[in-house]
Amino acid sequence: MVNALTCLLKKKVTEDEPADNDDIEAIGREIKTEIDAVFGRSLAIRELDTGSDNAAEIEINNLNNPFYDVERFGITFVASPRHADVLIVTGAVTHNMAIAARKTYDAMPSPKFVVAVGDDACDGGIFSGTYAVLGGADKIFPVDLKIPGNPPTPTQILTGLLALMRMAGKKR
Amino acid sequence: MTADKDIGIRAVQEFLGDDALPDRISSGSNNEQYVTLEEPEFETAVSHLAANKFVLISLFCCEGFSVNTAQTLFYVFERRTSILVLIRGVNRRATSIASIYPSASWFERECRDGFGVEFEGAFDTRRLFLHETYPEGFHPLKKAFRNAPVITKTMVDPAEEYPFREVRGEGVYQVPVGPVHAGIIEPGHFRFSVIGETIFNLECRMFYTHRGIEKLAEGKSPKECVRIAEAVSGDESVANATAFCMAVEQISQIQVPVRAWYLRTIILELERICSHLGDQAGMLIDVAFPLGANQFSVLREECFRESNRLTSSRFLRGMVCIGGMSRDVSRTQLDEVTGFVRKMRKRYRIGLKIVLSTASVIDRFAPTGVIRHTLLRPLNITGPAARASGGKVDVRLNHPYGIYDQFAPKPQRLQDGDVLSRFTIKASEIMDSLDLIERLITTIPGGDIRSDAPVRDGYTLALIESARGQNLCWVWIKDGAIERYKVRTASFCNWLAIEHAVQGNIIPDFPVINKSLNLSYAGTDL
Repeated sequence: MVNALTCLLKKKVTEDEPADNDDIEAIGREIKTEIDAVFGRSLAIRELDTGSDNAAEIEINNLNNPFYDVERFGITFVASPRHADVLIVTGAVTHNMAIAARKTYDAMPSPKFVVAVGDDACDGGIFSGTYAVLGGADKIFPVDLKIPGNPPTPTQILTGLLALMRMAGKKR
Repeated sequence: MTADKDIGIRAVQEFLGDDALPDRISSGSNNEQYVTLEEPEFETAVSHLAANKFVLISLFCCEGFSVNTAQTLFYVFERRTSILVLIRGVNRRATSIASIYPSASWFERECRDGFGVEFEGAFDTRRLFLHETYPEGFHPLKKAFRNAPVITKTMVDPAEEYPFREVRGEGVYQVPVGPVHAGIIEPGHFRFSVIGETIFNLECRMFYTHRGIEKLAEGKSPKECVRIAEAVSGDESVANATAFCMAVEQISQIQVPVRAWYLRTIILELERICSHLGDQAGMLIDVAFPLGANQFSVLREECFRESNRLTSSRFLRGMVCIGGMSRDVSRTQLDEVTGFVRKMRKRYRIGLKIVLSTASVIDRFAPTGVIRHTLLRPLNITGPAARASGGKVDVRLNHPYGIYDQFAPKPQRLQDGDVLSRFTIKASEIMDSLDLIERLITTIPGGDIRSDAPVRDGYTLALIESARGQNLCWVWIKDGAIERYKVRTASFCNWLAIEHAVQGNIIPDFPVINKSLNLSYAGTDL
């Protein structure tokens, strides 16, 4: 508590935090607590686009902008699947990406979790049943959590990750 | 305007001579001129157009357009304000024009994959959007193929892998990158041939996110297809949806209410600002200047939030519909946008000043990743990338749509063609778009936001200036349903530019060059 107060009162060397951000702070703190408990203080995420229209990537990228800045909640986006606890999949799985997507999943160390972000990754969305896609991410590997949306907002993605942490905690 | 429009007709008269009978030339509803050519006339026509500075902006195929031939090829040429479409009937074989127009190469490969048309004399006959896991002889855009799941290979034999261009010589080695990249970006493969750190050759292989957009649209009602147009590329949702709706409206002679065009233009420009801010932030991240990058990424997030307040979608989706807009926007909301724009302008200037007065940024931006002016026409490079290399191209000025004839943007043009020029052009465009939005809100009239006139059959071409440049779509409606929806985004054209822009640069500069062009993979792969 002393720590939190000091944070509030001390003069900052940085610019002011963006306003209008209250729910992010609340969700973030909850995530941090769960990550501390379940993942030993940090969660490494690898993002994989298997056929998205790029809107979902933009929102995931936004999680790193100063409004969300999710690193402070213990979440990092890593450059290789070999470093990842969680694979975030966006887009329906296209035939052209299927082999690379499987290789990415296989490269992750166990235990591994997969989160499908966006309607297309959840079940193929509008592309379901067409020639170019296999369907949602669960057509090629097990999916632990689905976050629907066209695309889901950064807050919705963060809320989804909180649900994943709670689920993983129960599975232990 | 009229004089320029005649450039196309005059060119046709020149190469057809006495055969240029008026009944062979027809006007589309978007002022494009269609000319049907016989096979012997075709090559002379193309050479003539090439000699007269016409640019090939699209080439696509269609089945069932003519009763005499199995396929019809549409060659779309542009010169200034004139659009000329050559119609060529073929039966599974055609001669290639890629040696005259290099931009034809990807288009021809696309037609081959989609329809099985073989192009004789083409210098590149590799598959394009169907990767090697797809079966031989599979051509999804043929009418005989009903859109249904296909069985593909789960493994590719090394002997069947995609043959990249080989560059040989002492000290030349290859660096393969992708399709899965280190950052949070879309998939694509880059094959660098490198000498030391310097890039000698780059070949981009795309289409990993090929989702079958064009086939998906077939048979859908035009109304359903708006959602598909929005899914072409996430950050170009408004541009692609508007282009599609414009085509349908022109075919059906639907008069879009003026208020709807004001609202469309406001969100089109908002989308442009959002996209450019993302590019600028990305470029600064790639030269390790997060202080500058965050100025823009904060503004961009605010832009997303403003979009959400205005339209209930951070990507401005679900607003544009056939005939106008699906929802109106209240005066209070518009006033809020004005307030937002004013604040934004001030803060953007501060951010820009920080960036442009930082020596380490300028040092990395100039003269990096130069696109030479001479490449613009043969490769059909478009958008801010072309304007930064001295190109006079902007659909809003050359082929004004909606209310852009009254609200023309300032013509932007720089000559150096490097990363710095592209950064600066985008900065000017952001400022210009902010001004434009403010002016639109001051003068927006009241009235209806939608015309519910019925959709009619027909075809036309529509052009729009998205954040990345000229996006084109050709829509053919038959019996009330989409018979063909051809989309060609600016990214499809500009991917060829990056292969040239990186030559002689070092690999560590590739990310910033890539980001300065900000190409959409999804919009290319369809």
